[in-house]
Amino acid sequence: MLELAIGIILGGCALGAGCAMIAGIGPGIGEGNAVAAACEAIGRQPECKGSVTSTMLMGCAVAETTGLYALVIAILLIFVAPNLLVNILLRAMGA
Amino acid sequence: MKQKSIGFIAADIIYILMMTLPFLAAIVLKVLTTPLSDGVEITGARIFFTIPMPIQDLLVTEAQINSLCVMIALFGLCLFLTHGLRTRDISVRQHLAEWIVEKVDKLVNDSMGNYFMNFAPFIIAILGLSAFSSFTCLLGLFPPTSDINIVAGWAILVFILITYNKLKCGPVHYLKGFTEPVAFLAPINFISEFATPISMAFRHYGNVLSGSVISVLIATALQGLSNLLLGWLPGFLGEIPFLQVGLPAVLSIYFDVFSGGLQAFIFAMLTMMYVSDGFPMEEYFARKKAKEDKKSTLKQKTEVN
Amino acid sequence: MQNLDVISVNLWQILISLANLVILFLLVKKFLYKPVKKVLKQRQDEIEVQYTAAKQAEDQALKNKEQYEAKLTGAKDEADSIIKTAAETAKRRSEAIAAEAEEKATRILRQAEQDAALEREKAADGIKKEIIEVSSELSKKLIEREINTDDHKALIDSFIEEIGEGNE
Repeated sequence: MLELAIGIILGGCALGAGCAMIAGIGPGIGEGNAVAAACEAIGRQPECKGSVTSTMLMGCAVAETTGLYALVIAILLIFVAPNLLVNILLRAMGA
Repeated sequence: MKQKSIGFIAADIIYILMMTLPFLAAIVLKVLTTPLSDGVEITGARIFFTIPMPIQDLLVTEAQINSLCVMIALFGLCLFLTHGLRTRDISVRQHLAEWIVEKVDKLVNDSMGNYFMNFAPFIIAILGLSAFSSFTCLLGLFPPTSDINIVAGWAILVFILITYNKLKCGPVHYLKGFTEPVAFLAPINFISEFATPISMAFRHYGNVLSGSVISVLIATALQGLSNLLLGWLPGFLGEIPFLQVGLPAVLSIYFDVFSGGLQAFIFAMLTMMYVSDGFPMEEYFARKKAKEDKKSTLKQKTEVN
Repeated sequence: MQNLDVISVNLWQILISLANLVILFLLVKKFLYKPVKKVLKQRQDEIEVQYTAAKQAEDQALKNKEQYEAKLTGAKDEADSIIKTAAETAKRRSEAIAAEAEEKATRILRQAEQDAALEREKAADGIKKEIIEVSSELSKKLIEREINTDDHKALIDSFIEEIGEGNE
């Protein structure tokens, strides 16, 4: 019974982490758009390459934030949540 | 070329030691405290000792020690760069110091405006601390920026600065800012206000951590691969992960140097942007001017009387 | 020895890192930013001083140049006037000399004319005398001989011819 509960917890955490990382699609598409626009801009005005590149990097890094939130959630679910949940379960069983 | 005095050279040597010794000590500490057959795993910073404190125990961790080392090294760098400043036939290090100061001045002036010029040293500090904290993992140390506590401290300081600048027109004006554009959006504005430091902290932390997670994953995979391919070698030769030699170094160029430097730059840029956006420039100057006008009229009145 | 979790929030660590950043900010401000700014300002001031000095020197040089130019133009004028006066005096003198020479020449000419007139008178006197002599001789001859008309005519012609020759 206990093993089953722990297994469900671990599996749930892993599934949750995997689902959380679906958010990685968003920044991927967004950054792709940003880079495409930057390439277009450089193609149109090659003399602005430096400023376009730095602005694009800046925007990419900001757009990446949502993906990083997802990453943080996934890391929490993989490395932190199982211990926490199992401890809670054990305490509940003991009580 | 003037002959350098012995005192000058001694001071230089002291500064250079200030820059290098902390990292050496940190490496020695890491080697001493790392258990032998640890393998590679994804964990937080190592806890050296705990000090009991009122609300929560203070944990003295590797991240804290490393960030202290970075601070000492940066202090040494500052002293080294500004040692022997002259007005003519300047040395290379003075060129570097002037380049840093002028670049950051220009950056601050471009993105914040003339009013915030006293932010320039803060931007230098934040850039240096963040970038060099990320670069410490080139030495095999635990990068302090991949500890959420360190980055959260910086983000909270930035939040304090933003709020301080917003409060320059009085608390009423500050609270009125939440009811824009519509009054019932106030709770959401309030949440987004407090999301700023959290997002800044998680952005920086997540970037550095994701780099180290990927590095660890690749290192583990390479170890497994080399065990599989070269495990038939006799004795201890089979246990050495030869495949771990090349690829992680190349990856660390991207994840540590490029990503770390970019994140430091972005943290500084966002700091400047949030602070200068939060500051109600027109309102502040209008009020200041009104106050001065009032003062001058009062003065005139008293003079007339 | 333990490791922290990947994500663990510790209030004191946050405060310490916040304080670290503030301390580093103060250190950077005190030991990097201000000295470098000071040196830059010093250099700016020095350049300013040198610039003003150079400007002064340039002004001085320009002034000197103007003076020299003024002097030069003065000298030129003077030379011009000298040359002019010299030319004038020379012209005047040459004119005087020429006038004198002309006068002299006219005087000489007049003298010569007078001399010539005198000479001619003298010559005329001489011819008259001769004519008188000739006529007196002729009359003597006429008186001596009987004269026919043909002889008479030939005599007169020869006489006239003689006069003409003597007149030439």
